[in-house]
Amino acid sequence: MMHIKPILAALKRHKAGTILIAMQIALTLAIVCNAVFIIHQRLERVQRPTGMDEADVMAIHSIFVGLADNNAGPLIQADLQALRQLPGVQDAVSINSYPLRGGGWSTGVRTDVDAKDSKAHTTQYFADERVLATMGLKLVAGRNFRADEIVQADPQSVPDPSIVIVSKALADKMYPDGSGLGKPIYIGDTKKPTTIIGIVERLGVPWNSVWSDDFYENSLIQPVQLTGPFTNYLIRSKPGQLESVMKAAPAALVKANRMRVISKERGVRSFAQIRDDAYKGDKGMAILMSVVCLVLLGVTAAGIVGLTSFWVGQRRKQIGVRRALGATKRDILSYFLTENLLIGVVGVVIGALLAIGMNLWLVTQFEMARLSLVYVLIGVVALLLLGQGAVLAPALRASRVSPVEATRSV
Amino acid sequence: MLKMTHLSKVYRTEVVETYALRDFNINVNEGEFVAVTGPSGSGKTTFLTIAGLLETFTGGQYHLDGVEVSNLNDNERSRIRNEKIGFIFQAFNLIPDLNVFDNVEVPLRYRGMKTAERKERIMNALERVGLASRAKHYPAELSGGQQQRVAIARALAGSPRLLLADEPTGNLDTQMARGVMELLEEIHREGATIVMVTHDPELAARAQRNVHIIDGQVVDLAEDPRFHHAVTSARAGSPA
Repeated sequence: MMHIKPILAALKRHKAGTILIAMQIALTLAIVCNAVFIIHQRLERVQRPTGMDEADVMAIHSIFVGLADNNAGPLIQADLQALRQLPGVQDAVSINSYPLRGGGWSTGVRTDVDAKDSKAHTTQYFADERVLATMGLKLVAGRNFRADEIVQADPQSVPDPSIVIVSKALADKMYPDGSGLGKPIYIGDTKKPTTIIGIVERLGVPWNSVWSDDFYENSLIQPVQLTGPFTNYLIRSKPGQLESVMKAAPAALVKANRMRVISKERGVRSFAQIRDDAYKGDKGMAILMSVVCLVLLGVTAAGIVGLTSFWVGQRRKQIGVRRALGATKRDILSYFLTENLLIGVVGVVIGALLAIGMNLWLVTQFEMARLSLVYVLIGVVALLLLGQGAVLAPALRASRVSPVEATRSV
Repeated sequence: MLKMTHLSKVYRTEVVETYALRDFNINVNEGEFVAVTGPSGSGKTTFLTIAGLLETFTGGQYHLDGVEVSNLNDNERSRIRNEKIGFIFQAFNLIPDLNVFDNVEVPLRYRGMKTAERKERIMNALERVGLASRAKHYPAELSGGQQQRVAIARALAGSPRLLLADEPTGNLDTQMARGVMELLEEIHREGATIVMVTHDPELAARAQRNVHIIDGQVVDLAEDPRFHHAVTSARAGSPA
């Protein structure tokens, strides 16, 4: 570091190039830090568990046509019977929605009958006693529904249930001391209490957008089979037989009743496809951001290589003079590395402030999460290393300039 | 101090070999002021670059201050250049981005000298060349003669055993050249060993001894009658 003072003195006389590279480093750091933070958040979201044992599960969305009223109950029962009888099927259930589907029901829940505001927001699933087995949910307290507790209901007028199974997250939210089992909750604006008879370890909501993040694991299952024409069948195949069930199940439904619509595109999907569809946007965003980051880093590295190469060419004679005056090859190498480090440090200091400022703006404008300083620190180190890596080739070229250059006329 | 024996320097291309120096012999004693003269392309500058360890040679032997230099590695050559040799170039070769003080400091930094000692040496050297008051000026703000004086200060600051000057007045007008030459003579009187390459017979005449090179070999000055005459005339007219 013995050369810092003269290097700074020389840089002062090359302000334009120095400022340009420092600003390029600063902007790259600011953008890359925030982009990597967003990418990481998106990837975390993509990997978020639903609480289901997703392997061997598929879903069929079926719409009965030609029904006068919401009286599809017997048809749904017939469908379920047909599905459960298929050789590769382990279990099947009719349900209004499921995690990552993108649409579903939600409501507020209270523990105090007189409370004006709900204590938590939750999604509502309506299904029979086979839902736990079909979804592969883990019951951590209490019991499952019994078949005799399931009621059929028009989706327009679902009665307040007397019992409910909730996710642990919701149970803990309602009763933070962990004593939710057996306790009453009030769903929506009803005055009728509903008793928590079972708690499952985890069950995600049907949405995966930012607005549902606050209640992502708040779910409850009511012992209700809806009788509307729209229904989703979740089917669990026997291990390894999903592929054949995906062909057999829609055929069995059509055989049971032809008066229905099963969409070609999204009507029959494995849960892997459902997860894929749900996070397509997040994955696309992550890929786009990654490409932007790589391009920015590449452009910055190229800028450093370009400027340093230009400076090396411009100072060829000066390097020869330094060598003539006693500089070793290592001295010349260290001169250019130190010079780049000094520019880099200025760049990353400004860049770190910009990164934090940019994130604060995103926080206020788009309700983004606060940027962890770890990202900034890693970004700072990465940009400095990138700078040193980029400068290495031209610096090595400079170190190979012969001292005899000092005697050559330009 | 400087002894070259049967030294040769060959530049090779795919089709031709060019002898820049051939069976070159020279011996410069400590405290001498030697002018190396010769026509353009005779090998003067090649001799200087080899003498200053800026370039390697092809054959023969070169002892500098008692050390045979042909087997030294790049770092050792750098160290010897830094500690034992002071260079004065025709084009001054100051670093334009650094002020006078920082320019003189360059070789001292490569020696790893402490700040206080560096400062003392720099100011002494600048005082010696009469430019202490210009320490904060940049080369572009100085005249050619002043720039060469800074270069001399830079060469002197490291207290070298040998000063190598390559046409030190080649880029200067007569008045400035005279000033620089007087400075070199003064430095020599104080005990420095100076080897100066020049094609100027007047400058050559002011050195203690002339070594004349033609076609890469040291020859008797009498073999170049015109130059010999010019040097002899200059000596006759010289007050020294």
